[in-house]
Amino acid sequence: MRKSKYSDVKNIFIDSVDNSNFVELPLTAFNYQTLEDSLNKPLKMILLFGRPGTGKSMLLNRLYHNLRNIREIHYFETPILSEKEFLKSIYESISSQKIPDNMRVNFNGLLKYVQNLKGKREIIFLLDECQLYSEALMEKIRLLSDTRVIKFVITLHKTDNEEIIAKEHFKTRIWEVVELRNVSIEDLEIYIQKKLIQKGFVEVANMFTPKHIKFIHQFTKGNFRETNKFLYTLFNIYEFYDINSPEKILGTKLSKKILEMTAIKIGYIHD
Amino acid sequence: MINVKELEKRWLKYKTKSLMLIVLIVAIIGSLIYSGYYILYKLDFGSKKAVVSKVIDDKNISDTNISIATPSPTLTPTPMPTAEHRKDIIQLAPTIPIVDVDSEEVKRRPKKIIRHKKRLVKSKRVKPKLVVKKKVKPRPVVKREVKEEETEHKIKKIDLKITSNNYIEIMKKKFYRNKNPRDALLIGEAYYRAGNYKESEMWALKANNLDKNSEKSWLLFAKSKNALGKREEALKVLIAYYNRTKSPRAKRLIEKINSKGI
Repeated sequence: MRKSKYSDVKNIFIDSVDNSNFVELPLTAFNYQTLEDSLNKPLKMILLFGRPGTGKSMLLNRLYHNLRNIREIHYFETPILSEKEFLKSIYESISSQKIPDNMRVNFNGLLKYVQNLKGKREIIFLLDECQLYSEALMEKIRLLSDTRVIKFVITLHKTDNEEIIAKEHFKTRIWEVVELRNVSIEDLEIYIQKKLIQKGFVEVANMFTPKHIKFIHQFTKGNFRETNKFLYTLFNIYEFYDINSPEKILGTKLSKKILEMTAIKIGYIHD
Repeated sequence: MINVKELEKRWLKYKTKSLMLIVLIVAIIGSLIYSGYYILYKLDFGSKKAVVSKVIDDKNISDTNISIATPSPTLTPTPMPTAEHRKDIIQLAPTIPIVDVDSEEVKRRPKKIIRHKKRLVKSKRVKPKLVVKKKVKPRPVVKREVKEEETEHKIKKIDLKITSNNYIEIMKKKFYRNKNPRDALLIGEAYYRAGNYKESEMWALKANNLDKNSEKSWLLFAKSKNALGKREEALKVLIAYYNRTKSPRAKRLIEKINSKGI
């Protein structure tokens, strides 16, 4: 079977938290700068929150990759739900010692250990998907941040309940809140164009007109995850036509029919 | 790989649906516009037409002797009435009673009469003023202005003469319709001003016959008699009236006639 160029194009839009896929937009650049500046302030915790797909994990990932060589920073990409495992991971990250499986970390001992580091070290922990942590574990995170040795940057999904958690649990400790939002039509256009161009698909990037961007934004509302899903499906269909009936995709611009088919496939349009 | 064939079918279904929706919306809007037009114009016109024909029918049945209901062009069935036709129909609708024709004339005429009357009164007022000016201010500097005013006045006078004939005719018609002693007196006064003393005497008498207490009719009658050279008769009438009413105006007129001031 002949390989289509659209196979590679669609893979660009696979939802992944890869620093190489990061697309800098005016809004994300601003958010990143706010986050980086916050780390230099004497804050205990920094909350990064927004609806799913607004780029929280991507921003956290970028922060980790940019600062890992200049600051003592640790990134917990996936949430560690077990308290025992979490404390063990924290201790291992700070002490760089491997704890045997049959042993566990005592929280009071860890607290004392961290307090002893005051004035000597400043450690940053990036915790993604914190809405999955239990309240008891969140309480321990708070106590650790009170030592002023460890700074936590946590991300939370912005839903009604989680907003309450954010407010109630951390209102006395979090001094910086960075809220991420969906992007505008203009930013979405930049996002799609940049994403395609930085991977060398200039021709494909030129297939998009402002009308197409508007159509996509109408359904995805500027959400990165939704946009990626849409574009992945779109180029999946293009791939099919390119292999089976290329005469249907001869135009230099995107086909409205295929855009509508994508919306039907994802469920934005009900047939 | 994605099942594009099935997706194409779904897309076709979606397109058909959306096309049908558009057609439906267009049809609804179209029917709304048409029904709106029908209600506004066709139904409205129809009802008016019906009213008019009914009115005319009633008229013909109730009063066959009166020939006012001439065959109207609106009675003949026309396929599509023009805007002018429609206007006629609307105007005809409220004229059900036959009295309207007369009352319309009555309504029209008084306006004209009032205008003439006003002009006459104006001339009456202007005339003595100018005479007074001439007498009181005979300054040579003002003379030019007076001359101008005079010429202006002359023009005014000519206008009045032109209109006075019409005025008398109109007033006469009015008098014969209403039999108002005041109208008769106005006609008499007009004739007197025009120098037709015979007619002014007659109209003063007519006014007096209708209203014996009208002082003006007495005085006009006497003035006309005097103007016709019947001085004795004029004085007789005036003295009789003065004895009855002790009118100072009558007294002044008696004195004037006696001193041949008139």
